[in-house]
Amino acid sequence: MPSASPLPRRAAIVGANRIPFARSNGAYARASNQDMLTSALDGLVARFGLAGERLGEVVSGAVLKHSRDFNLTREAVLGSRLSAATPTYDLQQACGTSLQTTLQVANKIALGQIESGVASGVDTTSDAPIEVNDDLRRVLLAANRAKSTAGVLKALGGLRPGQIVPEIPANREPRTGMAMGEHAAQTAAAWGISRTAQDEITVASHRHLAEAYDRGFFDDLMTPYLGLTKDNNLRADSTLEGLAKLKPVFRPKGYPDSEATMTAANSTPLTDGAATVLLASDEWAAERNLPVLAHFVDAETAAVDYVHGDEGLLMAPTYAVPRLLERQGLTLQDFDFYEFHEAFASTILATFAAWEDPKFCKERLGLDGPLGTFDKSKLNVAGSSLATGHPFAATGARIVPTLAKLLAEKSAQEGSDTVRGLISICAAGGQGVVAILEA
Amino acid sequence: MGTETLDASPTLGVLYGRALLTARSGGQTLPDRQLELAGVRIDASLVADYDHVCGFAVGGDVPPTYPHMLAFPLQMRLMTDREFPLPAPGMVHLRNVITQVRPPLVGEPLRVAVHAERLAAHPKGAQVDLVTAVTDGDGAEIWGSRSTYFVRGATAPDGDQPSAPPEPDPHVGRLPHAVWTVPGDIGRRYAAVSGDVNPIHVNGLAAKAFGMPGTIAHGMWTKARALAALAGRYGPAFTVDVVFKAPVRAPSTAWFHTAAADGGWDAKLVSPKGRDHLLLTLREA
Repeated sequence: MPSASPLPRRAAIVGANRIPFARSNGAYARASNQDMLTSALDGLVARFGLAGERLGEVVSGAVLKHSRDFNLTREAVLGSRLSAATPTYDLQQACGTSLQTTLQVANKIALGQIESGVASGVDTTSDAPIEVNDDLRRVLLAANRAKSTAGVLKALGGLRPGQIVPEIPANREPRTGMAMGEHAAQTAAAWGISRTAQDEITVASHRHLAEAYDRGFFDDLMTPYLGLTKDNNLRADSTLEGLAKLKPVFRPKGYPDSEATMTAANSTPLTDGAATVLLASDEWAAERNLPVLAHFVDAETAAVDYVHGDEGLLMAPTYAVPRLLERQGLTLQDFDFYEFHEAFASTILATFAAWEDPKFCKERLGLDGPLGTFDKSKLNVAGSSLATGHPFAATGARIVPTLAKLLAEKSAQEGSDTVRGLISICAAGGQGVVAILEA
Repeated sequence: MGTETLDASPTLGVLYGRALLTARSGGQTLPDRQLELAGVRIDASLVADYDHVCGFAVGGDVPPTYPHMLAFPLQMRLMTDREFPLPAPGMVHLRNVITQVRPPLVGEPLRVAVHAERLAAHPKGAQVDLVTAVTDGDGAEIWGSRSTYFVRGATAPDGDQPSAPPEPDPHVGRLPHAVWTVPGDIGRRYAAVSGDVNPIHVNGLAAKAFGMPGTIAHGMWTKARALAALAGRYGPAFTVDVVFKAPVRAPSTAWFHTAAADGGWDAKLVSPKGRDHLLLTLREA
């Protein structure tokens, strides 16, 4: 594989703002994606004095999106304190959305096409779009296409009472009919991931997030929203004993029920929230006396055939990381922090297990030997999705600034040495986005 | 074998009605003639309706199971004739083999010819094959199929029948690749696009009268949906061989397993308790 061509410059991560994440149908039940995104943007504008500024671009996206929100980001920017001359676009890559928006903005900055930009993502599972079912939709569209009154009436003659049952979006893969949790349960069973190991990851996530709040880590990364000042999924007092009492919620199809290990605690809950990251060239930041927390180095996106190819739905990062490491001439052990999106505790454990398995690494990843393991005390040290919750499209823009700030803190402590972090996010559709930041 | 050429496709509802009236009659041997319909043209809008029910992409190739829609009325016409040796009501589809040379095109003139062969005893009744050939304007056969139908309790004359090739033997893994939610009204939906209003698919009481546990999905719907699930994984020329085992109840849940095989794909549809519904092999030409 060729090594990376050096980019003209690296995009800087200046700072961020998000709103606390709220469990579904709770604190943010009345707020739309546009409401939450506008609020998160305005918090960012206030923090960095950007009122009236024309930024290079704002890129955002949502997984669950109303059809009327085709220009979601543009509408949010027009309602924010940013200059209305700031261009926008929407992007959607399931749970990888806002790491991918970060990558887009960072690349444009690196190429000199823009000097500054905001990458973000937002999702609500409370204010979700409800669609008319396919039968009713087809009847109504046929009526709409009809050119005469008689044609309209003929089309409407196809109406049936059963058609009024609406379609509510489900977290289900269209081609497999399985919920994401059911896919993850199959992967967990295939890799023999224990219930205890999953619960340990869960307890650590809550403990780390609580500690991060306690030391004020999020003070300059978050603004309150609708009465919340912290992610309300956080259970600082969660214990292994407590989690052990929960019943499994996802059953691995094709395995005995005894293999069901995934509970409501070691799986992320449905969540509402929005997150934003400010990226810029070093020059743009310096002109405004703004800090540079870290730089965006490189990223890789992978996809796997989970439909017929016998790979787990959420295993794409397992493939993306070795490709990224090879391009950058790094090993899995060369990082100071590892930020792995905890879609399910079992997902990241299956990824780690795969990297330690010589057969998998040789046959599936095409490596000479196992990718190996790494120091797990460097994993998700400020908590991750199991504790914060996971508004699908917002998670990348939560993780990027968390890692950037961790790197900035460590760099400040250690002086001149480069510190480095790895981000990994799995996504619906068998995709995954991974990235490297440095400070 | 003589050929009877029809002017228009028979209406299936009428044929089923006639079938119920003539169920007790029937000759001893298969009719020595084929039925054909010439100048048939596939209608894009009807294919779109079929695509919606079976899961194919609208506007792609005509689905490989779609020509069965053209052939089935001819098959029924042949099987509901007074002299046909087996009664059509309650007939169950056991196996369907399709060999496609190329996908038919929407609008091109096609000739569809159907005849019956291999009337044979079955451990629980009798079975017969209905063979279809679809030829294009140049007279080239572009699509052919063999459907084996079974009638419980019916009898067939003894005699040497050419034996059928071995049944497909798909090899798939233990884990399902997809979970199918079979809607309760799938029989009615498929009947609406196929014209196949066989009561075992659309009426619970009638289904029970024919020994079914309730309405069951059309076998050819399960085959179509399986091929739709493999969209993009096979080329235009192939043979796809399916046996229909335990009927798929509607509504129900079924597990779909697939595996890449040498020169094609293997697939199985099974119940969550492990009963085989459909065994499929697809081998590219």
